[in-house]
Amino acid sequence: MFTADPDADLEYSLAEWRRWRTRRRIAELAWIDALYHAELTGLACAVAFYALAGVIGGAALSASQMADVSRTGDAWLGLAAAVALAVGLRSGSRGGPLVLEQADVRHVLLSPVDRRRALLGPALRQIRFQLFVAACGGLAVGFLAAHRLTGSTAGWMASATAFALATVALAFGAALVASSLRLPSWAGTALAIGLVAAAAADVAGAIPASPTAPWGRIGMWPVQPAAPGIVAVAISLVVLGAGLARLGRVSLESAERRSRLVGQLRFAATLQDVRTVVVLRRQLALELPRLRPWVRVRVRGTERRPVWRRGLRGALRWPAARVGRLVLLGVVAGLALRGVWAGTTPLLALAGAALFLAGLDATEAMAQELDHPSLTDSVPVTPGSLRVRHLPVAVGAMALVAAVGVAAAVLVEPATGALELALVCAPAAALAGVAGAGASLVAVPDPVEALLMPPEVTGAYQAFRIARPLVLAIAGTLPVLAARAADGAGGPAVAVAGTATLAVAAGFGVFVAWLRSREALQKALQAAVNPRKENRP
Amino acid sequence: MTEPADAPRTPQPRRRSRDQAARRARLARDKATGPSRARAAPPPVVTGVLLARRASKSYSDLVALAPLDLAVAPGERVALVGHNGSGKSTFLRLAAGLLELTSGAIEVAGYPVGAPEARAALSFVPDNPVLYDDLSVREHLAYIASLHGVDASEEQLNELIAAIGLADRADDLPARFSRGLRQKAALAVGLVRPFQVLLVDEPFVGLDVPGREALLRLLDEAHAAGAAIVVATHEPSYVERVDRCLALRDGRLIHDGPTTPDEVVRLVGDQAYAPGA
Repeated sequence: MFTADPDADLEYSLAEWRRWRTRRRIAELAWIDALYHAELTGLACAVAFYALAGVIGGAALSASQMADVSRTGDAWLGLAAAVALAVGLRSGSRGGPLVLEQADVRHVLLSPVDRRRALLGPALRQIRFQLFVAACGGLAVGFLAAHRLTGSTAGWMASATAFALATVALAFGAALVASSLRLPSWAGTALAIGLVAAAAADVAGAIPASPTAPWGRIGMWPVQPAAPGIVAVAISLVVLGAGLARLGRVSLESAERRSRLVGQLRFAATLQDVRTVVVLRRQLALELPRLRPWVRVRVRGTERRPVWRRGLRGALRWPAARVGRLVLLGVVAGLALRGVWAGTTPLLALAGAALFLAGLDATEAMAQELDHPSLTDSVPVTPGSLRVRHLPVAVGAMALVAAVGVAAAVLVEPATGALELALVCAPAAALAGVAGAGASLVAVPDPVEALLMPPEVTGAYQAFRIARPLVLAIAGTLPVLAARAADGAGGPAVAVAGTATLAVAAGFGVFVAWLRSREALQKALQAAVNPRKENRP
Repeated sequence: MTEPADAPRTPQPRRRSRDQAARRARLARDKATGPSRARAAPPPVVTGVLLARRASKSYSDLVALAPLDLAVAPGERVALVGHNGSGKSTFLRLAAGLLELTSGAIEVAGYPVGAPEARAALSFVPDNPVLYDDLSVREHLAYIASLHGVDASEEQLNELIAAIGLADRADDLPARFSRGLRQKAALAVGLVRPFQVLLVDEPFVGLDVPGREALLRLLDEAHAAGAAIVVATHEPSYVERVDRCLALRDGRLIHDGPTTPDEVVRLVGDQAYAPGA
């Protein structure tokens, strides 16, 4: 047995070992690879800057436009700060924002080393990187915005940078505090929703100011009084300091779960593997099926239609968090489509994204089937047929989501004919959500399709393949667009929406046929591309 | 893997200066809340080196461990048996501080689990070894030893490495090891530091016969040195080597006392416990 020296400086040993590992990593670094990564990052930043310049534009604003910016700019920036803070609170309530090496959780945090000092290094590294990115982003946005706004370029750059830094510090600090207080996940989510809702209400002019409006003032320093912004900066620093001071109270259970899952999550995200991202995110949030279903459906031996019964049983075990998320997504889709009807066409993308995300939850049973191909292959039913048999439950779940959307769209501003129009548009939204999610689940890279593509368009094809599920989901919002166009032209909006819904339903039929015979189509394509290979033993 | 000639020397431990030690003691006294309060307070009189009082763990409506009362005396050898999912690993992870209690309390050497003194007194060898990707076995041992204030000589580390059967792999990275070799490396890491309680989860899984013999020998040595040893296992024969057997079923303690391998199979009622299974 070994014996410990009671006066050993454990924290010094930890720091020395960490420095030693860093030195060795640097010594073993492949500099060519590192330079290549740096070059790629530089190129990506240049592209992002160019795209940002396109979004912001270059023409100077008129006096009335500038007055609008001065009046409402802080509310919009406050909304951005609220979203960042919401992300921080949600992360903190799930054990974030620190992502540690799993071995560090096991060996360092279980040793008698002071936990706060052990975690200070990783925390400072993480916040340092986030502040650096925020500063770069702030400088870029400030520089570009200064071309359109009155005031000095340096002033706008400084103001935007200060806003970005204060917001990131607030979000990171709030996450650390939430984590150290072991804020329950539901409380983190409720706070996050409340903050974003208040900031959105401020933007809409429903309330005089949101709790995050002072952070918006930081970004408007060149045209608005500085005092509220200075208070916001001070609060950000205090929250960050409090978070760092409470580092030692981190939950090892959450830290270990995060350390295990976050690496996999990032890897899955880089591969655009949406299903894996969804599954890992659920594990991270401890979103487990209910032990007791909402409604118990008795098993009476072998049953008819086992696939959709299995789907129904799975849906009846959805945890409350998932049900809540579906309701929220339904509300978002409904409100976004109401905004489209009112003339804000870009909200189509938001509605489509909400339907796509809801569809990912609704098609859970089919996703489980695809997760276990050996099980699927062991039943005497073709994979395509099995996938299609999962669709009724998914469509049923999405119908409920669409019903929530209808209620939200109608109640936000009750009007004659609104309910009728919403009810006509809802089926298309439900079907498109299922189609988008279904396409995402089966969207593994297809070598045959890739072979058919000329090399010049391979990149564009890959981009299309990734965007396809979202495009399908957005297609479900077309009846609203068609109805708006008809209404603008003085035509029958409901009838046109009905025709568009029928068109979307026909498209869904094509999707079902594709889902059913995907393998057969692939084989036919394979035979067409390479007929000799088909005959090989 | 051999160390490159120009590789930096591994860090050496350092003692706190008198000023630092005094400051540390003062800080420990000043802290009024949380685990550090225990650091300043004298250890309370306890009847066991590992004490669980109504300790339980639930995940939402799933009870992983029902309220459990338990006291393990210093130097006691305990086997923890039960089905898969009976709560063995949950209890060990709770005692190690890797999981948070839903209710109740666990104390190690008189300190609440998670306190620095409790962490110093307890060594946990999990069933799923987690090791650093960039450290060799020898570097792991030197690192973990220094985190616990152990100034181990090269000979001492070599002795441990040889005892566990990793002498010819001491400078290799465990990240490239097989399951069994990783298990051996994790055992060495668990034994390279001082402890009053050793918790070992499923140590025999993946070990070859020499590895098992080496493990049993090392556990005997730790016991001889006065440590309490709790081993969660599916190996019925192991209960013959212990003073006490705890059997868990569905998160509840169903047996606490000496037993035999046949009795274990009867208690747990699982064919998986049949010898040789």
